[in-house]
Amino acid sequence: MISAELRAEVEDFLYREARFADEFSLEEWEALLTDDFHYWVPAGRLEGDPSKQLAYLNDNRARVATRIRQLQTGKRLSQLPNSPMRRVISNIEIEPRNDEGISVVANFVIYELAAQSSGELRVWPGQAQYRLERIAGNLRMSAKWIELVTAHAGQRNLTFLI
Amino acid sequence: MKVDYRELVHTDRVHGSLLHDPEIFADEMERIFVQGWVFVGHESEVKNGGDWVKRQLGNESVLMVRAESGEVNVLANRCSHRGTALCWEHNGNAAFFQCTYHNWRFGLDGDLRAVPFPDGYSKPKEDLGLDRAGQIAVYRGFVFANLDGLAGTIDEHLGPAGYELIDRLCEMSPSGKIDLSKGWIGHRVQSNWKLWPESDSDGYHVGFVHASMSASTDTYYDDVAVGGDAVKSSRAVDYGRGHLELDWRPSYKKELSWLGVTRDRVKEYYSALAQRVGNDLADQMLWDGPPHAFLFPNLFLGETVIAIVEPVSPGEMIHHHTSVQFDGADDAFNERLLRQTEAAVGPASFITTDDAITAERIQAGVSGTDRSWSSTSRGWIDLSRGLHREEINDDGVRSSDASDETTNRGFWYRYLDAMSGKDRH
Repeated sequence: MISAELRAEVEDFLYREARFADEFSLEEWEALLTDDFHYWVPAGRLEGDPSKQLAYLNDNRARVATRIRQLQTGKRLSQLPNSPMRRVISNIEIEPRNDEGISVVANFVIYELAAQSSGELRVWPGQAQYRLERIAGNLRMSAKWIELVTAHAGQRNLTFLI
Repeated sequence: MKVDYRELVHTDRVHGSLLHDPEIFADEMERIFVQGWVFVGHESEVKNGGDWVKRQLGNESVLMVRAESGEVNVLANRCSHRGTALCWEHNGNAAFFQCTYHNWRFGLDGDLRAVPFPDGYSKPKEDLGLDRAGQIAVYRGFVFANLDGLAGTIDEHLGPAGYELIDRLCEMSPSGKIDLSKGWIGHRVQSNWKLWPESDSDGYHVGFVHASMSASTDTYYDDVAVGGDAVKSSRAVDYGRGHLELDWRPSYKKELSWLGVTRDRVKEYYSALAQRVGNDLADQMLWDGPPHAFLFPNLFLGETVIAIVEPVSPGEMIHHHTSVQFDGADDAFNERLLRQTEAAVGPASFITTDDAITAERIQAGVSGTDRSWSSTSRGWIDLSRGLHREEINDDGVRSSDASDETTNRGFWYRYLDAMSGKDRH
């Protein structure tokens, strides 16, 4: 059983991370990451060794920095303009780990408007798995793994932060 | 009303209606995807007897299957009884295919094996097998099919250049074999399928559409495809029959540019390669890299990526890609190819995402054009860039500066042949 304080702290972190992603607050979002952050969206279930698979997205910390820089150039056509989007997070399960890290699993639904091209409303349902660490008293994110409900079905433009 | 394609495809321009007209799309699915040769998949996807993968060739769902005999078959994914699809997952392994409607059972070769209550049939079983591709050809693992079987030979379709491009890729593998079994990633794009052969073989857009990549990371495309010198030394090549290349080789400024590493990072791969082909050839391959080429109508050899162009409807397509894996190369090298693929291609990548948005914007731009406008000056797409400086060699190969639309025109020349029946015998 985890404490109410820890649950509140983790939920605050997740909601903040979600808002930064939704609003393209890229610097604020990047400040939540640890130096060994791993970002992964496989073309199937969250299982197996990510390094051996071909994924939609498999960023180490350096590559996620490039991803953010590319969005910040003002020339990223596939996010020009940025997608108006909002996500809802629910079913949050929190599991402290032995090494002081915290594993979190949550469901999400993102509503995204393809403002760069067709203007259709896109719905992105899935599960997010986070690994959080406490650094100098504050929570940081060392992994965010996304299992899309549509993982096997191919995707539309996925150049926002999911 | 029957479409006259010669009215819509000219040397220097094509009509926008070709990208959205439903009648034209229906003609294409028949004349290109049923009556012509198309790429289906790679043998390494079905290594063992009973392995199958599902593919969409135009309107038709097919199964590429490895029979117990080792032969690869391309079968219609459609029960010969009442038309039910037999498979709906992407891939699997089976001893036979069984329809879920009345339990008809088919062998891996498509033959009808068993039906429940067979005394109700007087027809011979031999007449009730699955539809299968009329012609299949396999070259270095690449499986091509012609569904109606009347398209002429694979040699006529691929020509010397088609074979040479496949060779150039496969020869870079230490064993001479590539493996394409890491799975296909689908990118769903709201554009006509023909905008992808154009995008994959267009050397003019790189500095503009991909400016955000150049501005945020070191990319070899800056050396080979962006700016004055690069687009002058790299070549846009039309080999004929719709097979196209952006030949970066003259522009690479150092070996292994195409992989973004130095030789010390790929020592094991180099020595494994040199063991088979010798040091001189291996050295040359490290400079040249794999080809950036398009084989009509649906296969993209994108350096270390292979992609399939799948039409869905006039304004919808899927760009499927997988990572080339070199058989006989070390795990670290092949993992590098996986990471490079993820960076370059797909819905969350750094490069083709911006091509996809561009294709969607073209679709939005041309969707108001009407076929009847072809007799006027309205609704045309200009493809005249470089026509005045294009060179043609003795084999009929056209080439020009990499930013010239020689490759785009090459696609449409073959398209016109296919759509006006010139491909037929």
